[in-house]
Amino acid sequence: MAFVRTKGLQGYITGDSPVPWLAPLVAMLVVFTIYPLFYNIWLSFHEYVPLKRRLVYVGTENWSNLFADPRFWEALSVTFTYFFVLLAIQVVLGMIIALLLDSDEPGFGLLRGLLTLTLVIPPAITGMMFLLMEDPEFGVLTYILEAMGILSGQDPILATSSTALAGVMLADIWQWTPFMVLIFLAGLRSLPQEPYEAAMLDGASAFQTFRRITLPMMSKVIAVAVLIRGIDLFRAFDYMFVMTSGGPGTSTYTLSLYAWQQTFSFIKWGYGATISLVSLVLILVIANLFIWIAKVRW
Amino acid sequence: MAEVAYHNICKSYGSFEVMRDLSLSIHDGEFAVLLGASGCGKTTLLRMTAGLENITGGELTIDGKVMNEVHPRDRDIAMVFQNYALYPTMKVFDNIAFSLEVKRLSKEEIKRKVNEAAAVLNLTDYLDRYPRELSGGQRQRVAMGRAMVRDAKVFLFDEPLSNLDAKLRAHMRVEIRQLHERLKATTIYVTHDQIEAMTMADKIVLMKGGKIEQVGTPDDLYDRPATKFTADFIGSPSMNFVEGKIHSQDGKPTFVGPHINLPLDENLAAEPGQKVICGLRPSDLVAAENGEISGTVKLVEKTGADVNIHVDLSETAHLVATMARDNGVLAGGSIELTIPSKAVHLFDADTENRIETQS
Repeated sequence: MAFVRTKGLQGYITGDSPVPWLAPLVAMLVVFTIYPLFYNIWLSFHEYVPLKRRLVYVGTENWSNLFADPRFWEALSVTFTYFFVLLAIQVVLGMIIALLLDSDEPGFGLLRGLLTLTLVIPPAITGMMFLLMEDPEFGVLTYILEAMGILSGQDPILATSSTALAGVMLADIWQWTPFMVLIFLAGLRSLPQEPYEAAMLDGASAFQTFRRITLPMMSKVIAVAVLIRGIDLFRAFDYMFVMTSGGPGTSTYTLSLYAWQQTFSFIKWGYGATISLVSLVLILVIANLFIWIAKVRW
Repeated sequence: MAEVAYHNICKSYGSFEVMRDLSLSIHDGEFAVLLGASGCGKTTLLRMTAGLENITGGELTIDGKVMNEVHPRDRDIAMVFQNYALYPTMKVFDNIAFSLEVKRLSKEEIKRKVNEAAAVLNLTDYLDRYPRELSGGQRQRVAMGRAMVRDAKVFLFDEPLSNLDAKLRAHMRVEIRQLHERLKATTIYVTHDQIEAMTMADKIVLMKGGKIEQVGTPDDLYDRPATKFTADFIGSPSMNFVEGKIHSQDGKPTFVGPHINLPLDENLAAEPGQKVICGLRPSDLVAAENGEISGTVKLVEKTGADVNIHVDLSETAHLVATMARDNGVLAGGSIELTIPSKAVHLFDADTENRIETQS
């Protein structure tokens, strides 16, 4: 079927070719995604030489250096720890809070609305806030944890390598668990009610209903939330940058932070690009793994 | 096995009252059908029985025990929902087995019971499918299977056949009735379809506006409708109603209306001059020369075995007569009809209540 030909703005669309329709999007994709990606790949085979003030071809040197670099492996380990621990905490905590807030009683609408507040704060500000709260001298969190006996007065949270990552994680949990809650709530509130009534009459307890009815029906929603949050967590940068600068030692150095440091502090553009590319590949693999696991079969 | 009794049940949503002082009892093993038009409260009553709706006032008892505050899971009730309410993430086997797993029955026993139910319902080949992979009729049978394996005290059906086509509906009517014969469990079945009610029920509870209009066997409601509403609701095509007055002719009561002059049973409790509504079932009307009813044939409607003949008695009075086909009646001609006096139903024009024959 041929398109109806019109004059004016749409006049240039003649015939059945999809190209004119796709061109603007393809152009944007090329400028903002495809070109930077290939430039990045090209960059990973070059290195900036300050004396020559230009990029020099170095072959696979960046790649071989990377896999021999103990700091890369440390950063990778920190990133994975951050990724898995926070994903688990935020999914479980998010689901519990979502289930508690899934009610039509008065006041719950307001509570659900308040959840969005943490999301509008810039992460750097949240980082600053937690930096103050975890301050060894006057931080309220330090005070509470010491009062509870979890922390001893000698070990500042963010300056002790065993607790620094956990200290950074607190900021992430505070800021991003509500995001999980919001997505889960949207899912929970769109679930059909009939299966719940049927389960009630079938004699199922609240836990059995959750495990056999709610959780399977929510699997698509959980998959989407995990995917979005997982990608974010893998790129973690802001909180460590503000709160610990990767320290003490390398205990909070993530891949993103390491790439940033190599690129902008040490002006090793090629090496930074190589680290970024590894991040990208890992994210792609993990994301597709999640999509495959969460593939809904019903 | 259980007796379900409602004592002065009331139901309101906020200040909006939908049911008031409803009392009814359904005996052990009885197949009761709650019948009525949309919004008459039949589904609300069923959901209150299951515990899915709160009871605003009155008392619900099952086997003499008050159930008002008992949680649905502890009422031992199985229900088939209008939209089946299957668990979308479970295969057919698990859908049927869920209630048994909850009861922690052994794997072998669950398998045996599910396979038994599946065999009865012709679902054996579908046990490994998800609900979305089934047709409407198959889903309906899964919902039935889920109820069957329960061995519950009371079975509730909420318009389970309304989403099926006519042929499948007729087939499932028979299946549900046979299931009831096998299980002998107390069953409450909600429908707006009077044919379902007539064909399946031991007892029909006809409801209107949150109240019970009439309770009785299908024959009771068909032969002796207590009100004009019942008479109108039961029977297809519906009963004809003609307004007129009672006259006394030669000492015998006679109904006189537009082109109608019907002699009535002498024992009718009606006064001469009383305004009444005369009810005539289409199937009771017979064409006859010198019949008491005369009119013009407007339309001859074929239904297959029979024809429905639409007759105009006057500008405002019409009636339908069901006759065998090949009766020679043609649209546009005149026709005379008669009816046995015992088949005439009379209702008071003001109260619309049945005027009884005094014995």
